[in-house]
Amino acid sequence: MDTQEIIRQQVNTHPIVLYMKGTPQFPMCGFSATVVQVLRAAGVEQFHTVNVLEDAAIREGIKQFANWPTIPQLYVNGEFIGGCDILREMFQTGELQQVLGGARKLPA
Amino acid sequence: MVTPESVQKGIEAGLDCAHIEVIGDGQHFQALIVAEAFSGKSRVQRHQLVYAALGERMREEIHALSMRTLTPEEWSQAGGAAQ
Repeated sequence: MDTQEIIRQQVNTHPIVLYMKGTPQFPMCGFSATVVQVLRAAGVEQFHTVNVLEDAAIREGIKQFANWPTIPQLYVNGEFIGGCDILREMFQTGELQQVLGGARKLPA
Repeated sequence: MVTPESVQKGIEAGLDCAHIEVIGDGQHFQALIVAEAFSGKSRVQRHQLVYAALGERMREEIHALSMRTLTPEEWSQAGGAAQ
């Protein structure tokens, strides 16, 4: 399976996916850390994360996937929402909370 | 080293800006970009326009460009204030 297909499956399998450097517990970049904080502040407890530092193919492939050259990247319901600046702005205006509220619920 | 001035020139070369300010330390940059081209575009599309203006340089050299992207109208509503 090629990298673009792997990414497509990841963002379609999990309602909320964050591609980041490091993990929520140990972020390896200030921008990734900020997005984790923003998601928590927006009331999201569960989200799937992909540590791009552990997978060079994903790290490069994710930049092509959404035509977006930087990491972190957030996807909700398979759709690219934005990077750090955009997520921060959307949180301030309340738009992010709306988008996250519309995330698919996983079957229990 | 990449300077704020070179980032600004790179953006201006590919995007008609009504106003632009870039500050930074060579590693991290913050840009305020006001352009008519942003009208009717989402935030993601606006940032993609700026990334496209910077082209390959973004990929290779600028690891961290934070930006605010406004239309001239939004900027004047915001009081035309510097960042």
